[in-house]
Amino acid sequence: MFWKTFVALRESHKPVRPDGMESLDSLAREQNKNIMEPSPLDIPGVFRLDQRPDRPDPDFPLKLGSEGVHEICEAGHGDMAAMTGFALAAARPPSGAIFWVRQHLLEREHGRLFEAGMDWLTAMGKPLVTVATRRPGDTLWACEEGIQSSAVGLVICEVQGLDFTASRRLTLAAGRQGVPLILLLPWRHDGTSAASARWRVSPRPSSPNPFDNRAPGHTRWQAVLEKSRQAPHMAGRLFNIELDHETLSLRVVSGLAADAPSPRPAPAIGQAIHAARQDRRSA
Amino acid sequence: MPPGKTAEAPETGRKPFVLVEDGAHGLLVAAANASARTLGISPGLGFTDARARCPDLLHEDIDRKADQDALERIGHWMIRLSPLVALDGPDALMIETTGCDHLHGGEDAMMRQVSALLSRDGIAHQTGLASTPGAAYALARAWPGHILPDGEEAGGLATLPISVLRLSADAETLLKRFGLRQTGQLYGIDRKALGRRFQSRSAADAVLLRLDQALGLRHEPVRPLKEAPAYTARLPCPEPLLAIEGVSAGLETLTRTLCQQLTGLGQGARGFAFHAFRADGEVSSVSISLARPVRTPRHILRLFGEKLDRIDPGFGIDLLMLEARRPGPMEVSGPALSGDLAASDTDPVLLAALADRITAKLGEGAVIVTSAAESHLPERAERNVPFDGAPPEPVRMPSFHGPRPLRLIDPPEEIKVLAEVPDGPPLRFIWRRVPRAVTRADGPERLAPEWWTWTAPPPPSTSPEGVDRKWLNPKLDRRADAALIERIRAELEDADMGEPVPNLPRARDYYRIEDTEGRRYWLFRQGLYEDGRGGAPLWYMHGLFA
Repeated sequence: MFWKTFVALRESHKPVRPDGMESLDSLAREQNKNIMEPSPLDIPGVFRLDQRPDRPDPDFPLKLGSEGVHEICEAGHGDMAAMTGFALAAARPPSGAIFWVRQHLLEREHGRLFEAGMDWLTAMGKPLVTVATRRPGDTLWACEEGIQSSAVGLVICEVQGLDFTASRRLTLAAGRQGVPLILLLPWRHDGTSAASARWRVSPRPSSPNPFDNRAPGHTRWQAVLEKSRQAPHMAGRLFNIELDHETLSLRVVSGLAADAPSPRPAPAIGQAIHAARQDRRSA
Repeated sequence: MPPGKTAEAPETGRKPFVLVEDGAHGLLVAAANASARTLGISPGLGFTDARARCPDLLHEDIDRKADQDALERIGHWMIRLSPLVALDGPDALMIETTGCDHLHGGEDAMMRQVSALLSRDGIAHQTGLASTPGAAYALARAWPGHILPDGEEAGGLATLPISVLRLSADAETLLKRFGLRQTGQLYGIDRKALGRRFQSRSAADAVLLRLDQALGLRHEPVRPLKEAPAYTARLPCPEPLLAIEGVSAGLETLTRTLCQQLTGLGQGARGFAFHAFRADGEVSSVSISLARPVRTPRHILRLFGEKLDRIDPGFGIDLLMLEARRPGPMEVSGPALSGDLAASDTDPVLLAALADRITAKLGEGAVIVTSAAESHLPERAERNVPFDGAPPEPVRMPSFHGPRPLRLIDPPEEIKVLAEVPDGPPLRFIWRRVPRAVTRADGPERLAPEWWTWTAPPPPSTSPEGVDRKWLNPKLDRRADAALIERIRAELEDADMGEPVPNLPRARDYYRIEDTEGRRYWLFRQGLYEDGRGGAPLWYMHGLFA
């Protein structure tokens, strides 16, 4: 990982074209960034020095969980737990109960929500009402009912997928009632949607644990804001986020820091074999 | 004042026909029609004897289950007359009409209405109405169409045969041998003298009980088909309804009436059932259940709106009925004006209304809340319980344990693990056929098994049968007891020799694991090496950290 960073440093000189087409080139690069075209440097945590944001964005969660419909999608299969944790940690504590709609199919695949684990992620001690559904249509219907009743403050929905019409309908309902909705969509959900924003979340190696260098430390995620209707200029931005489990606060960390690998000592099994050989020799 | 009804009918001019069933000694006649009865064929007769009396006897196998179902269906349909309808034997219904007759224009008019309803559907019947179930039973069978006024049971039943008293066949035969053929002859007999005639005291008591029940001297409870609702509203239709629009308009009227009634009493109800009685003897019903007592017509109508299309008008609906079940006091309080004064920022009424709508569409148990339970095992420490209207409290777990995952794999999935023996964290593991390499690990956190929930399996019995039987036999045999105690002691000593005892609960050692991709898992090893509780411990995946 380190040598890649040095490569990035070396390549960070802006290519200057002799025919004076520099502005067009930068324009094309801007466009490339927006449509997320893969580049050799599109490796998590590696960035060009000239593109590095100087300070973490102050309006980071972009009203996630406080306004509108936010889709959170898996970056790779098995990121559902990271998505759930990111949604809970980033959402603002709602002014009422949390209404959690979950589809049975996803529960089998990705596990069910374990409320004891929420204390470790978020400070919102809000009552949680869960609806268990079987079909995706019922799941979305329950979501809309939750938004339209003024009884709940936040709706979180695990659903296997939704089309543009459904997302438009939910967005209109959420805008009308002022109830935020977070959709947790597994299986690399893609395609058009009317949602306010789409995030793609994957887990990152956690921070070094100061008390035990072999144990995982604070939880870290990488969230890519794929699109946003509230802040279109921020689309394509990549956030490395760290959750402090003691203060339960999220902070946006720089990519380099987020990817610092913590060295793991050689497995103790090797030492054990070595010691056993020593013993045998001495005997 | 229950009338009874029998399914028998005077059918003259038809061919003799019987229903047969298997008896201990060949086919038996189970039921016979009127023309067969005139030939002396009665239920209980052997089929071969019946065939001898009437060579061209038609017969068919009896289907008692279908008969029972048909009778129950008629019973449910009769709920239009009174909420308490009970089955009375395999061929009769008992309707408790106390307080209902004035709705139908008096007892006489009500009985005519029952007859008219049944005749319209071509159901042969006999009716009787009296103040006690026993007297009504007797009237319906021996004096059909008659009404006995309250308090005149003794006089009315005096001339009826003794067979209407619901006695056992033996008791009836015995009484007939004494020359007691009419009910009235039993009135004057000294009860002790009657008791002496019977072989056992219980047989005599049974006769007296039936007599007293018929005369109203002893109480006779009736077990209704359906529990009586707390409140009911009825809407008879002058003309049978065929369109669902008419049904929904009727439901709206009924709901307003019933809610007005509930408001006057300061009550709400947690369940409503809507019945549409069809002219052809069928009932179509839908019901809703609510999380809290409710009496708001709009809310009730909205919940019924999802289900109203399940009502089948058939050939026309002539009566609509709405029942309120599980009543309870309403908590009426205005919302707090200031947010600081409110006990919580969740409105329980609105939340219950939301839960009701979801339950009405997705079924009972769709809305759940989590309640904490005392258990060492994480999967049992949180239980899902149906939402009951009370705003849920956030589950607060005791903080003396380590971090818990956000998503729980339930039940735990077995994984293949490469780990240091005896109690090191995993180095590599295979879960769902994907090999994963561990970079960092935290643990173990040991969760002890719950020894108090474990019950020992019965030890395999190797003793000869005679020794075990001694326990059942109350005779004391000191020598056999001593031998048994000696054997058990020897078995216990054998068990201490280090033989592993299977099925004993094993401790779990939980590890928090991070793999090369940054995914965090919660897995455990069930048991320890050489803990004497089975073979090598197995590893399980139990949760995913965020």
